Order: sequence, then C-alpha cells, then structure tokens
Amino acid sequence: MIQLKSMLNCIDNSGAAIVECAMVIGQKRHASIGDRIVVVVQKQRDAGAAGMAAASGAKVKRGDIRHAVVVRTRQKVTRRDGSCIKFEDNACVLINKSGDPIGSRINGVVGMELRKKKWSRILSMAPSQA
Amino acid sequence: MNVAPLARRPLVCLKSAVRQARQQKIFSRSMATEVQATSKPPSRSPDRNFYRVVDKKTKTTRSAFAIYPPTSAGLPLIPPTTTNPVAALHDFQIKKLDPTGARTALFARTREAAKVGDILLVTHRRGGEPFAGVCLSIRRAGIDTAVLLRNHIGKVGVEMWFKIYNRNVAGIEIVKRRLKRARRARLTYMRKPKHDMGSVAEYVSAWRKSRRVFQTKGAKGKTGATTAGGKGGKGGKKK
Repeated sequence: MIQLKSMLNCIDNSGAAIVECAMVIGQKRHASIGDRIVVVVQKQRDAGAAGMAAASGAKVKRGDIRHAVVVRTRQKVTRRDGSCIKFEDNACVLINKSGDPIGSRINGVVGMELRKKKWSRILSMAPSQA
Repeated sequence: MNVAPLARRPLVCLKSAVRQARQQKIFSRSMATEVQATSKPPSRSPDRNFYRVVDKKTKTTRSAFAIYPPTSAGLPLIPPTTTNPVAALHDFQIKKLDPTGARTALFARTREAAKVGDILLVTHRRGGEPFAGVCLSIRRAGIDTAVLLRNHIGKVGVEMWFKIYNRNVAGIEIVKRRLKRARRARLTYMRKPKHDMGSVAEYVSAWRKSRRVFQTKGAKGKTGATTAGGKGGKGGKKK
C-alpha cells in the first residue's frame, strides 16, 4: 500500500537510499508490487564516502524526482493460488521515463508479481525472487 | 365535521352504499378462496366460480388450483440432515485433492505431524525455488488449511502463506523440528528482533547434506525427486 508520502528503500545502485512516494501512476489508490510510482530522493547512499560516490557516478541526487517500480511491500499480496507473500519493508527500484532501470544492479529479494506486470528486466537483475 | 343537523343529512348516501357493497363482495370472494384452499366441504354446493371435480379413485377434490398435500406428491420431505454439510463438502474436496492423505497427516494433531516452530520447506510446482521458513502458525480451516512460513532472504524478512491442499504445492517437508514444543499456537513473537530466527538457509543446506548421506549411490542427484513427487513429502520424518 504505497501512497503519497510513503517512504521506501531504494535497493538498486543508482545512488538513492531512501525515497518518498510523490504519486502513484495510473488510476490507483495505492501501489503494490509491480506498480509504477513517482518518487523524490530523500537520502543518498554512501554519505560517508561522498567523494567516492560522486566519483563512481551516483546517478541520482537528493531532491531528484524520478520514476520507480515497487518491488516489495509490507502489505500482504495474495496470489492466484491463494498463497500470500509479505515482506518486512517497502522497497523500489528507480527507472527512467521509458521504463529502463537507472541502476545496473539490484541487491535484495523482489516479488514475483513483477513477472506478471512485465518487469522482466528488473526480475533478471534481482539476485533472488520470492 | 360531523355536526351537521339531522334534517340536512341525506338519508342514503350512494357512495357509502356502493363502498359497502364492494367490501362485501371482496369478503365473499376471499371466503370462496379459503374454501378452495382447504377443500374441506365436498362439492355439495356447486361453486360457480371454480372448476372442481371429485376424483373417483382417490376421492379427492380436483379444482382449478393444484393443491398439494405436504408429503405425498411433489417434493419429497427431506429428512433433517445430521451431518454438517460444509464439513462434508470439505471432506469431499480434501479426498479429491489429497487422495493419499499425506497432507492431512502432515498437519494433523498428532505427535509426528508438523507443528509451529518447525522449519518447513515448501516446493512449488510453478517455478521458483523452494521456500523454507519457520512455521509461525497453522490455520486449520478444512480445505483452506494454510501454513505461515517466515524466513530471511538477503537480510529482508519474508513471510508466505501456503495452502497445504494446493495442487501447485508439490511438497512440504520438515527440515528441522523445534527442540521443545512451542507453548503458543501462533508464534507471532518471532517477528520481533529479539526472537527472530533469521535465515534458515543453513538448516536447509544441512538437511540437504544429510539426505544425500542417506541416499544410496544409485539415486545420485535426486534430492528434488521426492520433493516433486506430488504427495506432500515427508522426508523430514526420518529424524
């Protein structure tokens, strides 16, 4: 249940650590796994090694407005066969306007619902799916 | 309103007279239908309104309206059911989805069955790797019986509900039993960081290794074979 002002973890290497939901794209009340949202980057990754991060090319900065795909939700997601999945946190992956991921790697598990919503690029980047 | 002097009051009011007549007519009609319904008086006094004949064989009155006695014709009386129909349906469905009874036995209230606190491994038929986790609760609800498993995948807690009679669930196996019986039916406290078990991957890998030891040389690399056997596997029971 991602809605306006929800804070999510960003689990790719785009440079964002924590983002805030600014809008759910589509006629939806709230976003679930596989839904697209607009986010504001609130915290950058690698605050300690800021110079390093800048050198290695943190692709997004604090205050940037980006699109993202929700990959994990705290809210239970029921599948067609009656099984449910629930994660401990809300997480997303940043994408550009055309739907390609900004980062090149994802660290962390992502939900299987991405397959149904045609996010195969993100699924293939993820180390594990549940 | 009613204080008009007697002299000026009309002796007969056509309207009221007509109204009274109409009411009487309605009354007589309704009386007639009541007689019809009960069919008490034999058709001594012929009723012009309705067609009725006394059947020669059965000696019952046949009228324009079908009158069914409660038991003899029409619907047979359904005897009151002694069994719970919902439970009967669940039994029927369980028999259909679990002909061997292995799944039922795995979560029955017996000593050797799986209990909360055990580490279970669920193999899914529709792709994906098998999901292992601590069983936090068993929701017993007939055909809808489900188990809640919790695990950590890459530092993130993941919880999944599985319906045990689901055909997509190829097998459920007990990886490790809890040392002592849990004193709660639902171990929701295991979500708290203090009691959280963390990842169960090491238990699963140890269990896999031990199974490989038990296996004979002929069945090499067949770890998944029993899992995908289709019957709620009970590999962990040998412990």
